[in-house]
Amino acid sequence: MAGPSALWEALQALLPRTKEELKLELGEKVEGSVVMLLQEAAELFHGGQRRKCLQTCEVLLDYSWEKLNTGPWQHVDKDWRRVYAFGCLLKAVCLCEPPGDAASVAAALKACDMGLLMGAAILGDILLKVAAVLQKHLLSGKRPAPGPSQELPGTKKARNDHMPIPDVMTERTVPRLHCPSLQYFKKHFLVPGRPVILEGVANHWPCMKKWRASCVPSGFSPVEQPKDIGYLAQHQLFDQIPELKQDISIPDYCCLGDGEEEEITINAWFGPQGTVSPLHQDPQQNFLAQVMGRKYIRLYSPQESEALYPHDTHLLHNTSQVDVENPDLEKFPRFAEAPFLSCVLSPGEVLFIPAKHWHYVRALDLSFSVSFWWS
Amino acid sequence: MDEERRGTWFGFGFCGFGQALGSGLGRQVHSPEPVRMPGGSVDVCRVSASWSYTAFVTRGGRVQLSGAAGGAADGYTDACASEELLVLLRAGPGAGAELQAWAPGSALRGEPLWSHAVQEAEHGPNRDETQAGLLPLLPCARAYVSPRPSFYRPLAPTLRARRLELGAEHALLLDAAGQVFSWGSGRHGQLGHGTLEPEPEPRLLEALQGLRMAEVAAGGWHSVCLSETGDIYIWGWNESGQLALPTKSLAEDGKTTAGEASGLDEDGSEVKRVSAGEDGAPAPFIAVQPFPALLDLSPGSEAVKVSCGSRHTAVLTRTGELYTWGWETDPGFIYGSSSPSLTHSWCGI
Repeated sequence: MAGPSALWEALQALLPRTKEELKLELGEKVEGSVVMLLQEAAELFHGGQRRKCLQTCEVLLDYSWEKLNTGPWQHVDKDWRRVYAFGCLLKAVCLCEPPGDAASVAAALKACDMGLLMGAAILGDILLKVAAVLQKHLLSGKRPAPGPSQELPGTKKARNDHMPIPDVMTERTVPRLHCPSLQYFKKHFLVPGRPVILEGVANHWPCMKKWRASCVPSGFSPVEQPKDIGYLAQHQLFDQIPELKQDISIPDYCCLGDGEEEEITINAWFGPQGTVSPLHQDPQQNFLAQVMGRKYIRLYSPQESEALYPHDTHLLHNTSQVDVENPDLEKFPRFAEAPFLSCVLSPGEVLFIPAKHWHYVRALDLSFSVSFWWS
Repeated sequence: MDEERRGTWFGFGFCGFGQALGSGLGRQVHSPEPVRMPGGSVDVCRVSASWSYTAFVTRGGRVQLSGAAGGAADGYTDACASEELLVLLRAGPGAGAELQAWAPGSALRGEPLWSHAVQEAEHGPNRDETQAGLLPLLPCARAYVSPRPSFYRPLAPTLRARRLELGAEHALLLDAAGQVFSWGSGRHGQLGHGTLEPEPEPRLLEALQGLRMAEVAAGGWHSVCLSETGDIYIWGWNESGQLALPTKSLAEDGKTTAGEASGLDEDGSEVKRVSAGEDGAPAPFIAVQPFPALLDLSPGSEAVKVSCGSRHTAVLTRTGELYTWGWETDPGFIYGSSSPSLTHSWCGI
């Protein structure tokens, strides 16, 4: 790792020269009290009072975080996200004041991540630049996997233990087809509810080339529930950033359903290596298109539901209690015998997950996928 | 209603805006300290704390603001402070009571943003039960005040409301029979009906049916109520340990709430903060509790008062002990303490 002072200088070079430039233009939604704190933070920073600046940043982050968590994400005023990003920026830089250690730099990078994921672009996308500098300076050269949190025990979480890529050849695999006709797909997979990987369907999407280049497409915004990094499900991403719609297309097979095209829910799923979606089922048909990275996916038929021990509360009855790759067979004995299909889904491939089919996902790499829920 | 006793107001928490908390020396006050009013000690009977300022109301009818918002005015009996709006209840001669909403930055000069004449409660057999002198529930208990438009919201006449609490996205109502109703957004389980679904109308908490509740309080995304026998029921979001249940960060880091801080009580003697033990082994954690859960503070303790911040909870027992738990910050760190800490013990108050 390059010396702490080299890092510090690199960061200073990214920041505005003067205190006056280190500010945000904000609308009425942001209360005067918060504007006061923003000014105070900038002054403390320029006055070299890092510790107090950090304290003020924490207050700004706490307060704006609560705004980000109030109401549906679509209604969160962008100015609050900018306030949050500002707090993350100053916090990240303050944490890198020499003599910094690897832990502080890692914490600074985490602050940048939070600002990038929950905040909005400020000061010419400065957080992206700061993150890039921090990444380069980290000892191992590897970006530490951020620690996620979950809303419900049954939702997304990440696993950091080094789990090997499963040997899919010894497991029964999901069949693969190259551009089947609509009728063939309907007769053999949609109607009987059988999973299949469709090749040649999405590999031509512009995003397959474009999005692999950058790690975090700017403009990402998390959804209502998990508001922490680790795994972001981005509802209506494509409504917020219409340009991204041009990079994907709804699989033709969706026209076999009963619903309208407008009713198809498109979600984007972005997460680091190791991100796990615990075994669960969804009520609708799903096409999961892999854009970047690979995913290990296991599928169980709804007929096996009892052997998967779903939670018995109303809230979680579509989520299994079993940790698929590390099951407690004393508690869940029947799980061992439940038959399943598995696969490693690679970029350009689309997996058809029939409605109510139980599925478990683990990202083998930094991964980006797009799912289409349709009926 | 108990006869009001004069006492001393204590405050603690973040006061980076110069709110009249404690000695005013630090930006954070970690243990309760007596409140210092601008202009010397006065006879405060109501306090409403928002994030960046506090509103004090004296027995003489003066409302005084301290912190990011300043100013004072006479002729008021109650105040409800929030960042967007300060709502005041103006005393009126006879039936002339009026509700006023002010922008906090106005320093109470000029005109209020809006005002609304308040109907006096009708005399009748129901009068005692519908009496509720505290905002946001208005004296006639037929409506309540919300810091967001529409500011004045009537309640269904069938609800004989005794107390109303507003969270960031939900509302809790305690009625005359000790039943609890909730409505609003349920995304964090704060409604207590066992789902994450919203409720547009007040809905009875069936899980608590049959238990008479004495107090309710709402935090940002969690809810608490106390039964008449002093039991605590709590539900909603636990991401900062505000439900006193294990949180993910504590489970992961193995942090405990060990560590003591001392405070001063009235006679100047030190009071140590004692934490309930928690083993540091990574444990299962609860992020959302969508049903009321019973919380045991300590054997034999009876809770009599409860209050919530956006992500923390405070309970006062009959014997004068104050317990707090939930979100705390320290310079440079944020951690959740999900074990109730005995924050302060007042004897003889």
